[in-house]
Amino acid sequence: MPITDSQISELAQDLYSWALRKVPDDTKAALQSARDSETSETARKTLNMMLASARAAEEGNRFVCSDSGVPVYFVRIGTKARWDADIKGAIRAGFTELVETIDPPILKHVTNPLTLERGYFGKDMPIVTFDLVSGADYIEIVCSPKALGSGRWAAMELFTLPTMETIEAYILDVAIKAGSQHCPPVVMGVGIGGTFDYCTKMAKEATLRPIGSVNDDPTLAALEKRLADAVNATGFGPMGTGGDTTVLAVHANYAAGHAFTPVAVCFNCWINRRTRARIYSDGTVERIE
Amino acid sequence: MAEFRNCRLPMSREEAASLQLGDMVTLDGTIMATAGIPTHKRIVDCIHGREELPVDLANAAFFHLGSFSRDQTDEDGRFDVLYMNPTTSTRFNDVMPEIIRHFQLRCVGGKGGLDEHCARALGEVGGVYLSFLGGGSPLLSASIRRVVDVAWRDMIPHYRLVTLEVSGLGPLTVGIDSKGNSLYDRLAKQAADRREDILKALGAARSGTPAAGPSPRQIED
Repeated sequence: MPITDSQISELAQDLYSWALRKVPDDTKAALQSARDSETSETARKTLNMMLASARAAEEGNRFVCSDSGVPVYFVRIGTKARWDADIKGAIRAGFTELVETIDPPILKHVTNPLTLERGYFGKDMPIVTFDLVSGADYIEIVCSPKALGSGRWAAMELFTLPTMETIEAYILDVAIKAGSQHCPPVVMGVGIGGTFDYCTKMAKEATLRPIGSVNDDPTLAALEKRLADAVNATGFGPMGTGGDTTVLAVHANYAAGHAFTPVAVCFNCWINRRTRARIYSDGTVERIE
Repeated sequence: MAEFRNCRLPMSREEAASLQLGDMVTLDGTIMATAGIPTHKRIVDCIHGREELPVDLANAAFFHLGSFSRDQTDEDGRFDVLYMNPTTSTRFNDVMPEIIRHFQLRCVGGKGGLDEHCARALGEVGGVYLSFLGGGSPLLSASIRRVVDVAWRDMIPHYRLVTLEVSGLGPLTVGIDSKGNSLYDRLAKQAADRREDILKALGAARSGTPAAGPSPRQIED
């Protein structure tokens, strides 16, 4: 039996609800490790509070943050997957049902940018984007609700044949501008190259990679390491009240492009909301994170 | 959380003056909270006599906290508050100096700090800025003892002006002291000062040679 609307709908709801209540395991581990190496006492205490909040949310089935963000889903369709569903419609239906039933209820953060009117729904909500996975017999859905605290500090710039020095200075300056504001320690996503739209997408997708994973590309792996050291040397620290840990990780993607080179930077706050599951063609659902 | 100093609200001028940047405290007493820009504009309207303010903000603890308040349908007029959490205070930079001065606010707070104009206003009235844990909803919500009042119910829940009685709210970090010194300004200046050295260290790491100076992680002031 192919993958159905109701399976997708149900999963879209679950992924959102889980994302609000559980800080991913890799993120908790990174916070612990930052706590152990911090030289600032205030920062250590702040990191301990973060870990306590994550634990309390999980154990009490509560939201970690009151800003439940706007719903953002990334759908990756296996080319061997079999489905008989209106995937986008099913995700929208799932989110609608979530709004009506979730306990506790979520706040109205979806905003019409033309009128500043706020509610649960709006044009093109949830934001759903698609990609294909060659040969896979599943549909993978990632949910990463995006809130204001870290969302508003993302930036991108277009350069012409920039040197790595220019690119890295820009990335550092975006981090310095965000400063104390984006609920650090953050995961910083970087996209380099491609086109205007593709570059920002690469940066966002980079934030979804597990913390601690090593970039397949050795050049990018080295770039990630030195940029993480660089941003942590700024000293903004946990919650921006000072310390050694401003980023938990920098993750970068690149693509070839023309002589104009977009560079995009975005942030996930310390709770790093991110859930992922697959529905296989035989109906099995596998929760990955 | 006995390891943190507990402060009783309303906070005395002396107690506010004794708080140092980076100190961590918990609060007991009455706070007022909202996360709405329209709410702040409405408060400013009240200052200018265009509407009557439904609560008394004089010397109050006024925080940038978003909360979910809900009508308790079984009891007339009673609201409960299901959860609360800070929002970014710098969004209110342009209106906070006037609000701080007019009401002589003793405690303000949220996350991310306020700008130098707000810090100056706090210095003038002897008030402090307290930094809440973003993503601290389960811990912060547990401190709510009683919903005293939910004003401006015509607004969406996190914009409403909510008065709460709390116990053990925090720990909160002193980000701006009563003299107007700001941890946020200091950290921004520190980052700007370190920028050149950080760029040098990035260049050294890029070229594969060991950094001539300390590695970025080891740079201290």
